[in-house]
Parts: sequence; C-alpha cells; structure tokens
Amino acid sequence: MWTGALTPWGGRGMRWSARWFVIGILAACDTFSGQQPPDGTEDTEASRSGYPVQLTDAAGTRHTFEEAPRRIVSLVPSATEALLAMAEADNLVGRTDYDRMPEIEGLPSVGGGLQPNLEILVSLDLDLVIRFAGESDLATAERLTDLAIPHFAVQPDGIEDVLTIIRDLGLIIGKEDAAAELLGEIGNALEGVSRRVAGLPEPRVAYLLGGDPPWVAGSGTYIDELISAAGGDNVFDDLGPLYASVSVEALLDRGLDLILVSEGLTPPTALGHLPSAELPPSVEIPGPRLGQAATDIARLLHPGAFEDGPG
Amino acid sequence: MSMSSAESPALEATDLTVHYPNVPVPALDSVNMIVPKGAFYAVLGPNGSGKSTLLRALLGMVPHASGRARLSGQPISDWNRRALAREAGVVTQSESVAFPITVRELVAMGRYPHLGALQSERITDRAAITEAMRMCDVGDLAHRSLSTLSGGELQRARVARAFAQEPNILLLDEPTTSLDIRHEMEILELLRTSANGGMTIFLITHHLDLAARFADRLLLLDRGRVAAEGEPREVLLEATLKRVYGWPISISNDPATGVLHVTPLSATSHPSQDRAPTPGETRDQTDASSYKSR
Amino acid sequence: MKPFAWAGLLALAVVLVFMLSLRLGSVDLTTAQVFAALRGQGDVNVRQIVIELRAPRAAMAILVGGGLSLSGAVFQALLRNPLAEPYILGISGGAATGAVLALALGLTASLTWALPAAALAGALLAILLVLGVASSADHRVDVRVLLLAGVVVGAFFTAFMSFVLSISDARTVRSAVLWMMGSLASSDWSTVWMVTLYSLPAAIALMALARPLNLLAIGEETAGYLGTNVERVKRIAYVLASLLTAAGVAATGVIGFVGLIVPHGVRLSVGADYRVLLPLSFLAGAVFLTLADIVARTVLSPTEVPIGVVTAFVGVPLFLLLLRRSVGARSGSEIES
Repeated sequence: MWTGALTPWGGRGMRWSARWFVIGILAACDTFSGQQPPDGTEDTEASRSGYPVQLTDAAGTRHTFEEAPRRIVSLVPSATEALLAMAEADNLVGRTDYDRMPEIEGLPSVGGGLQPNLEILVSLDLDLVIRFAGESDLATAERLTDLAIPHFAVQPDGIEDVLTIIRDLGLIIGKEDAAAELLGEIGNALEGVSRRVAGLPEPRVAYLLGGDPPWVAGSGTYIDELISAAGGDNVFDDLGPLYASVSVEALLDRGLDLILVSEGLTPPTALGHLPSAELPPSVEIPGPRLGQAATDIARLLHPGAFEDGPG
Repeated sequence: MSMSSAESPALEATDLTVHYPNVPVPALDSVNMIVPKGAFYAVLGPNGSGKSTLLRALLGMVPHASGRARLSGQPISDWNRRALAREAGVVTQSESVAFPITVRELVAMGRYPHLGALQSERITDRAAITEAMRMCDVGDLAHRSLSTLSGGELQRARVARAFAQEPNILLLDEPTTSLDIRHEMEILELLRTSANGGMTIFLITHHLDLAARFADRLLLLDRGRVAAEGEPREVLLEATLKRVYGWPISISNDPATGVLHVTPLSATSHPSQDRAPTPGETRDQTDASSYKSR
Repeated sequence: MKPFAWAGLLALAVVLVFMLSLRLGSVDLTTAQVFAALRGQGDVNVRQIVIELRAPRAAMAILVGGGLSLSGAVFQALLRNPLAEPYILGISGGAATGAVLALALGLTASLTWALPAAALAGALLAILLVLGVASSADHRVDVRVLLLAGVVVGAFFTAFMSFVLSISDARTVRSAVLWMMGSLASSDWSTVWMVTLYSLPAAIALMALARPLNLLAIGEETAGYLGTNVERVKRIAYVLASLLTAAGVAATGVIGFVGLIVPHGVRLSVGADYRVLLPLSFLAGAVFLTLADIVARTVLSPTEVPIGVVTAFVGVPLFLLLLRRSVGARSGSEIES
C-alpha cells in the first residue's frame, strides 16, 4: 500500500490538489480491485462483466450502457488520448481537426471539438459521442439529443478530471483492466515523483504562454496542478481567472527561481537573467500522459533528485 | 374633408407670432393677414423678413408659434395631416433628396395623400401625374434620375408634384429662382390660370415686378412685421419700398396695360446709399437702412 | 426589367437556392436522396441530415438574410444615409455584450436559450438607450442625434464586451468570437419558428411603410406636407427595423454586410421606390445569405467558415461590380447649370 507516501513535504505542507490526486488514484484502484473477472470463459460478453454500466457524467446526466459502444467519436482530446491508451482505436470512427495521433489520423474529421459538424456526426451512425461538459456546449448537447446521438459529457480540466475520465471511459467501453493499468501507471509515476521531491524546498516558478504582456497560468489550471505535484510553487496561484496577462515587472517582483514556457517560446528579455525551460505541449492538455508530464517537470525543478535515473 | 364654407378665407393669420428661444428678435411679430379663397396672394419682403417662417407657421410646422392660423376656416392644429395634404400643396425653397429617384416617382408622391397604404395608383392618379408633368413641362424628363437634372428642371418637377396633389390651395416659396425666363413665365401663368379657376395661390417671391403683374393681393413683410397689405397699387409705394428694402425703387404705371412696373434705381444716382450698414443702427426712413440677414 | 419580373425571378431563386441548400453540404447526397428524404423515405441518417439539419438552416438563412436586408433598407431611409446598415445603431454591440456575459457567467451551462435570450436582451437595451438619447423632451426624434447616439452606444458596448473577454478563459473567448462572426449552425426548427414569429409581422408592417419611407428620403418637412406623420413613422420604422435585426442577431450572431450591400444592389437595379425596394430586398437578401451559408459549410468542410466572412468576401466584390456597371451607365448624362 502507499500510505507510506503520505508525508508532509516542503515547508508548506501538502497542497490540497496534491492530496486529492493521490487519494483519487487510490480510489480508482480500489474500484477495480474488488472485481474478479471470471476465468476461462469463451463468451467475451460475459468477460465484460461490468454491464449494464450506470454512470453519471460531468454534466450530471445519468447514463446506462447495456453493451460496449462500437462506433465512438471523442470531441475531447483528453478523452481521445485515454481511449487510445486503452487500445480502443478500432472503435473510433471519427476525429476532430485537432487530433493528429497516427492511429486515428486517417479517420474522417468532424471539425472542431466545440462546434462539431453535425452532418458528419449523423452520417457516422455513432453509438457514442464524448463531449465537453462546459458552458458553451449546451447547445451542442441539445442538438445531439435531438438527433438521437448518445453523448457523454466529460470535464477535462485538472488531474482529478483526467483520472475520472479514464475510470469512467474504462467502465463504458468495458475495459476496466486497461483503465486500472493506466491509472496504476499514473499513480506509480506520481508516487515516484512525490517520493523524490519530498522535503525538498519548492522552487518559485511561473508558466508563460506567450503574448505581450505575457499570459501566465494561475491556480486551478492543469499546469498549476502539475507544478504542485512536481514539488514546485506557482507564484501566480493568487491570480483571479485561470489565465491572465501580467506585466513583466510583476514577474520580476515575484522573485522567480525558474521560468517555464510553452514550446517554442522565449521569455521576455527583461527576464533573460533567469533560468528558463521549455515544456512540451502535453503539459497544457490534460491527458493520460500526466504521469510523464509530472515527472518531466519534476526533473526540471529538482534535477538533483533524479540523478540516479528515472523513478 | 375640410369644413370650409364658400365664405371662409383660404388662409388666415391672427396675431401670429414666432419667437425662437435664445433669439432676441421675433421671427414673426403679430402678423395679421387674410388670403381670400381663389386669390393670387404674393408675399414679399427682404431676406430675413419672415416670409418662409410665415408659410411654415400657417401650415403648423413651427412649434414656437403663438397666435392663430386657420386654413380653409379650420384652425391649423385641427387638421389631420393627410387631409391637409389633399387640401393644400406646398413647394418649399429647396429639398435634398437622399437617394436618386426618377422625376415620375417624385411627382407621383403628390398622389400619396390620396392613396391608402396598400393601394396602388389608379387611373385617376396616373392622369393627375401626367397632367401635372405636362403643365410644368417636365413630361419629357419623366424617367430621368433627379441627380441628372439641372436646378431649374428639379424645381419644375417639384411644382409638378404639388399640382399632382390637386390641392385647393397652393403655397410656394420662391419656386422660380432657378428658372429661365420662359419657364418662369410659364409657371407664373400656370399659377394665374389656376387662380382664375378657383385655386388659391400663396406665393413667396422676391420678384417685385412679377408679383405686381400677376398677384391679386400683396403682403409686404419687414423684419417679421406686416409693413403693408392689400392690392398691388396700395402696397407698392415708393416710400414704403425704400423704407423696407433700404434701396430706392421707382414705381411706374404702364398706361396701356395698367400693369405696375417696379424698377430699382442705381446706386450712383444716390451716393448716400453706398454706406455699408452697421449693427445697431437706428432705423431711419431717410438713411440707408440696414437689413439683417438671418 | 420591370419590378414584377424581378420579384418573380427572385422568388424562384429563393426556391432554387433552398433546394440547393438541401442537396449540398459536408456529407455528399444525391438529388434522389434529398427528394426521398423529403417524402419521408430512405435512410434515416439522410432524412435526419436533410430535415433536421439542412432544412431548418436554409429556412433560417432565408429569414435572417431577408430580415437584415429589409432592416438595412429601412435604416438607410430613416437615417437618409446610404452607408447605414442594421448594426449602425449599436444593436450588434448590445447583442454581443449580452451573449458574452451569458457565456462568461456560465449561464449557458444551465439554459439552452440563455445565449439567444441574453443577446436579445442586450440588443433591446441598446435600442432603448439610443432611442432615449435621440428623443427630445417632446418625443421628437432627431435622426442625426440617432446616428451619433447609435455609434457611441455601440462603441461603449464593444469596449465593455472586450473587457469581459479579457478576463475570461480561453474557451469562453473562443465561443464568443465564433458567435460574433455569425453562424447558422445552431438552427433547428424551434428556433426557426420563433424567429418567424418575431420577424414576419415586423417585416410585413415595415413593407406597409413603403410610401412614408419614400417621403422621408425627400426630407422630413416635405414628407409632412405630403401627409406623413413624420415623428410616428420615424419611431415605428426605428423600432420595427431594430427588432427585426435583434431577432436575427439573437438567433445567428452578427452577420455583416448583408444589410448594407443587398439594399444597395437592389436599388442600383430597380431604383429607389421603397414599394419595390423593400420586398425585393427581402428576397434578394434571402437568396444571398442562403448561398453564403452553402459556401460557408462546404468550402472548408468539415470546418465551417464563419458566415460573416463569406458575406464579406462574396458580397464586397459583387457589390463593387454592380457599382461600376451603374456608374458606367450614368456617365453619359450631363448636368447643366
């Protein structure tokens, strides 16, 4: 068991977000630990013993799945990645313009994730659409309902959300094992990170997205949670909105130890004297690679803790 | 329909005063006048004497008016706009048309007061339009766009529109300023003929000579006040005109036709007249008097 | 060509373009499939596409394209300005602000109709504000003040909306920007019926104002002398044309150029008599927007180009062409003094 990992770290105590995701992982694994698939059955339907599956989605709608969906389109990148990670590529019959993964690049595109092309969705004869649960998409949801296309809402904003998505989708597609395995991997990676950075002082960092004056990520964003998980201190966690532009002076004023920038970006010249590091795009999109993302960031924040090789 | 009887005058003003806010001098000051039915009534006066204001006040278009104005025996405020438009036609000094329309479309607007919102032109309307265009010699221009017309052609088209209304009273504010001699005479003779046929003509003009020749009655305004009213030979007196216009004018009577001729004299024969007016100068009958332009 | 001939031609064009709109789209359909779907037969997916997706969209394009053109023509007469168009009096600014607020406050999460209702509310607020500013104490409307007030109120709303966007998250901003560029994508039959309910009475009432609008173009004083109750006409024309515009904007976002270009094009072809201009503007606008929508959803399929972009790209060159031909035709006449 991993209770040994729940040690206070840094001078500030464990951040609530860090605590939650560890608990989330434990909960996710617990969900699956009680289910024993029957041995030696030829009937594949019986081996997917979870059905009928009853779930409430991120928009509060209750769903009942009688069987595994065979024709799926995911409008949400995190969910798409999760499905691919659970080897569900065969059942995906469409993609969004933003999905460039090799496994599904050949599939027809349904346009953008926020306002998908309804005609193409109808023509694909879908069993399931995974959609955003956000405000702007209620109209899309209503139209999907009107067109009798089943849809499941997910919230892909933070680490907790990613874990929920993996767990829920795993149940829906009848691949609890794969989901558990994925969650286990993530849990291991996060646990490894937390072990290595425990007790180390948290470097003061900020994540810049570009623009002039530069946009930074505040608290409640995915990258903010990753930074906490990696043992860092986001100096802009007191920002009101999720992202906001701040002046270069404010950046200097906060006393940064390290600047994190998105790929391809250079920090403002006034901050040139500070060390900076580029982060790959995967840190902006919540997804199943969060374990790797947290590890990568932790490696940047605490290089000394990783000298003995990957955790 | 109006409630005019055969006796009530076409136009009547009683103590008509127009006092614009923030302007010390009234535009019209206690004007009293009566235009008998079927008369050719001309209104004269220098620039800024209130002629156009009088026309607009008689038609109820001036919000700052006090006193009484009546049209065909009924107070102007009691008139319904459409009924008024069927009774009286108006040609203003100028118009600016926002979009290019044809002459025929412009003249056809004279029939609008006679047509319901969804009603199309009837044969009687088309006849009135064609006849009005013929009378004002714009028939050949029917399908020309207004933007291609000369100033005079446009003026004639607007007079045609007023005639197309088939009104009992026609009020015109300097309708011949851009017209050449032939067209000016044609319009005036048209007005005279119409008056002979019973139409009341209320004409504002600065052509003293033509007013003397064509009008039955004259009104002479001076700085918002009535300077003189009556038949041409009562109003067109040399002393009166010199006082009002600030220029010496000679009146002569053609013995053969009885027509009055109004001739302004030249400045060189009266050296005291070429001093420029200064503001606040007293109005003295013998000096060159100033005239204030609005 | 005589006006009746134009009307017949345009009405036919509306029908043709409607059918074309059913046939063309992201998914290839044959004409046979379309007719089968209309008869209630054939593949259920095809029927869904034709009847639930393409048909209401085409109907909305007709309503909104016609409504915007009609109100554009009316505003041009009211303001005596050939550059007037439906959004010049702040309606688009008010509607966009309402929509952005609804998105930013998360209202659209709980209520599907929150977005159009907020847009309508914003538009109505702008309409009332502008009318209030432009009405004097004795309820007379000065159209020059109307124009100025509209521009200023619109600018204020735009600034406020920019502020709200600047503190909103990325998804809200993207949704707002897409909405503001206009889209017929969310058209379903219930929205179509609602827009019809608001628009058609207003459109018919405006067409009945054709003669008074002709007179307004001559000048308010002359209009009065020819029997028009000028203040009442101005007021009614302003309110009806604004409501017509607001209904369109609430349903489809801000679709530009239609209200400016179509009335001009019609005026250049058949003249400025509003008895002809108004109905023909409606028909021409319906045809124009339906065609634009076809282009918007097929040219970069599966992505949709915002329809406001298409109306600009297509409408502006078309209009310039029309303008050149009319200037050429007029160069022969001279002006004497």
